[in-house]
Amino acid sequence: MTTGKLIMNKKGKQSGPVLGIFPKLLLFFLVLSISPLIVLGYMANKNMAQTGLESKAIVTGMGENNMKAAMGIGKVAIEDSVHALDDKSRETIELRTLELALRIADFLYERDNDLRVLATFRPDPEKYRLAYLSSTKDVIVPRNLPREAPSGDSIGLTWSNPTNRIGWHHRPPDDFNRISKPIYKEITFIDLLGNEKIKVKNGHISNNLKNVSRKENTFCKAEDYFPRLSSLKKGEIYVSRVIGAYKQGWLYKSPEGIKVKPESAHAGKENPLGDEFEGIIRWATPVYEDGKKTGYLTMALDHIHVMEFTDHVVPTKERFSELSDGGSGNYAFLWDDQDQCISHARDFFICGYDPETGEEIPGWLSQNTYDEYKNSGLSLKAFVERLPSFRDFSQKKGGSKDQLQSGEIALDCRILDTAPQCEGWHRGTEDGGAGSFLILWSGLWKLTTYAAVPYFTGSYGSSKRGFGYVTIGANVNDFHKAANKTRESIEYSIALQEQDIRSANEKASALIDDSAERNRRLITAITVIAVLSVICAAILLGLNITRPLKRLTEGAVAISRGDLDQQIEVRSRDEIGQLAKSFNEMANAVAEVDRMKSEFVTIASHEFRTPIHAMLLGVSGILEGYAGEINDETREDLQVVNDGIARLMVLVENLLDLSRIESRKFELNTARISVKNIIKNAVSEVSQLIEAHGHVAIERYSSKLPDIYVDGERMSQVVVNLLSNSIKYTPEGGRILIGAEEKGNDIVFSVADNGYGIPLAAHDKVFERFFQADSIMSQRVGGSGLGLTIAKGIVEEHGGSIYFESPISAGRFPDLPLGGDRKGTVFFVHLPMKKERISEV
Amino acid sequence: MRIKKILVVDDEKAIYAYLERKLSKLGYSVCTAENGEEALSQAFKERPDIILLDVKLPKLNGIEVCKRLKSSDMTKQIPIIMLSAKAQSDEITAGLKAGADRYLCKPISFPDILQEIRAYEK
Repeated sequence: MTTGKLIMNKKGKQSGPVLGIFPKLLLFFLVLSISPLIVLGYMANKNMAQTGLESKAIVTGMGENNMKAAMGIGKVAIEDSVHALDDKSRETIELRTLELALRIADFLYERDNDLRVLATFRPDPEKYRLAYLSSTKDVIVPRNLPREAPSGDSIGLTWSNPTNRIGWHHRPPDDFNRISKPIYKEITFIDLLGNEKIKVKNGHISNNLKNVSRKENTFCKAEDYFPRLSSLKKGEIYVSRVIGAYKQGWLYKSPEGIKVKPESAHAGKENPLGDEFEGIIRWATPVYEDGKKTGYLTMALDHIHVMEFTDHVVPTKERFSELSDGGSGNYAFLWDDQDQCISHARDFFICGYDPETGEEIPGWLSQNTYDEYKNSGLSLKAFVERLPSFRDFSQKKGGSKDQLQSGEIALDCRILDTAPQCEGWHRGTEDGGAGSFLILWSGLWKLTTYAAVPYFTGSYGSSKRGFGYVTIGANVNDFHKAANKTRESIEYSIALQEQDIRSANEKASALIDDSAERNRRLITAITVIAVLSVICAAILLGLNITRPLKRLTEGAVAISRGDLDQQIEVRSRDEIGQLAKSFNEMANAVAEVDRMKSEFVTIASHEFRTPIHAMLLGVSGILEGYAGEINDETREDLQVVNDGIARLMVLVENLLDLSRIESRKFELNTARISVKNIIKNAVSEVSQLIEAHGHVAIERYSSKLPDIYVDGERMSQVVVNLLSNSIKYTPEGGRILIGAEEKGNDIVFSVADNGYGIPLAAHDKVFERFFQADSIMSQRVGGSGLGLTIAKGIVEEHGGSIYFESPISAGRFPDLPLGGDRKGTVFFVHLPMKKERISEV
Repeated sequence: MRIKKILVVDDEKAIYAYLERKLSKLGYSVCTAENGEEALSQAFKERPDIILLDVKLPKLNGIEVCKRLKSSDMTKQIPIIMLSAKAQSDEITAGLKAGADRYLCKPISFPDILQEIRAYEK
């Protein structure tokens, strides 16, 4: 405690910057807590960015996948819808073909009935004429003005009941120009020799009767029916093939495509003014009278009625037209049981006979085959008759140019080796069925349907193909129109969707960027808040630790200053609380020890004094002669005892003083006093001792010394102690200088001697208790070794300082003889003059 | 005034016996007491001319004895010289406050004590 106090009373400031617990804690917290937070924040930011990129990639990928899926679905949908529409169109056209074939068959069977009915009657010109006139059928005759074809969509008429509104389609009837036309070109009765007996022609009974057993008397000189009639039994019917004059036609290539020359036969829209093919199909059956065959009834069907079935059919939305269009590729045509063309948009394609010779005009061959014919040396007819059916058909072959030039380009399917579809139709109708297939024709994909005409009368019954077959050609593109429209709309919606997906992607990307940015900001904010929280926590924790520590320090300092009544409020039970508690206990213990010490000193001083008192009483009484006369020897011996008692007394007093100084129970009786008096009192007290040692003491004062406020007795004691020190440690006959002067705000006392000086090794110990320099003088002067310690204590109680210089620097005291081992010692005492500083203590 | 009778109060027999012996030899009538109560009764009974009073006493201490003597008309004129080993200023003050005429710190030599007594004879 004493040591602590002395340190504190020296310049108790620590040197250099020292980091306290609080900033250390703060730094520790910052480094420990903030670094991971910052790392965390950085990582989170990075991850967020990464996540953003990945999400973007995923979203974009999803978008692309969606787009691909949409496009894939679109493609499939298009394929499917095209297929569906194709199938639908195909079925529609197939059905139309089949129904056409059935209607033709029905029509032909009606002719059988007409014949049978008329054959039951006795041959009678008037009856035949009536039959002729009563058998008529409408045919479409094109108007001169070209007409807008109906689109096929709902026109004009709409639903009247809302229930029917869904899917309402209406098509007005075709407004074609129809005229009634006799079904038969002629009705005849011929006798068994072939002589025409009755003949109704053009509505009149003809007198121009001929023998038809001769071919030149027949239609186009081409009919050979009479020889076949003789074998007919009753009720049996003969039906001829189509007989008619072949009508020539010429095709040529123009920039717009293939065209028909005007001098050609009728070819629908391509050549509406050309000669139409005129032909007949002759029916014949034997006529019996009274069970006896008398002749034959023949009825020649005007072939126009058969052609009428196919000539106006259009396999598009147009459905029907006044004029068929061979160039469009969308039309129906008809083939007989021998696969020869008997109805076509282009009449020059219909097989016929040379009316001059009655010879059949050979069908159109490929150039290869035609060249073959030329090299054969045979006539064309003979060559064709020998030519195997459906030999080596190929689209790669071109039609013979010679026939094109001659205008004789009838279509005979068995030898038309440039058209492989012929073989298809032939094959497809073998069993009388119907069907379709696709073929690339003239650079266009065509759906071609076929249906056998189930008419089996006469020689037509020799094959299941019957009368022949109907075919319809349709440009695939035309009936793909709907599918293509669907394709376009689907592609459009895919494009829209693609755009949607793209913009959705962009939006999603922007959203992800945005949210990543927001998250980044959030994390930064959280990090900042967390850092601030950590700093606050560190500050609070630091204060929590350092505040009580500061209180402890203050308490300890107060205790060291002698203020022992220190108690620190204990709030917590933790280590700090324990420390505070321990501190309080220690403070109590210190206070107790201090109290005990004071008590001890008081008691001890009293207890010492009493026996000393007894000794002094006795010895003083004897020395003063109160116990009778004593001799000199006794007196000298008792004087030794008396000196010892005196030293004991000084020791007791010094101990008491020291105890009081150290326990700060030292009371100063400050009063105004002159510096000179202090010194004079001290000198007078030790004058005997100075004399005894043979020293010379010299007092020196500066001219004007102020009075000071000090405890005069105590300050005299200080000077006495210093003087005693000099007296003891200076060889006899030494010189002692006592002085006082004013220096700044201080009064400086000095006591110098020309003794041996204080050895350097002892400098630190001069003011320590019971320190005595090793000196031969010490025994003689006595001394407790407490004088300088007490002097220092008194000076410091006054707020002053005490120090010494040894050896004395040369020239400091000119009248102090120094030299050799007389190095000298000087003590300085600085006392502040200020009244406040003194009374403050 | 003439001092004939001296009351010596001290708890140490060595002290009061020594003083009794020496002072009697010098012609004083000396009575003694070794505690506070005895000091009071002796003072009232013997009516000494001066009292040498120790402070630290059994039963009743010197301060209390001094107070009682100084508060009684019978004894208050008797000079009291306090002799004490307690040498601190507060103790001295306490003694003087109690009415002591002198306060002497032990140890003190016999000639000094004699000098103090003779001072009251003048």
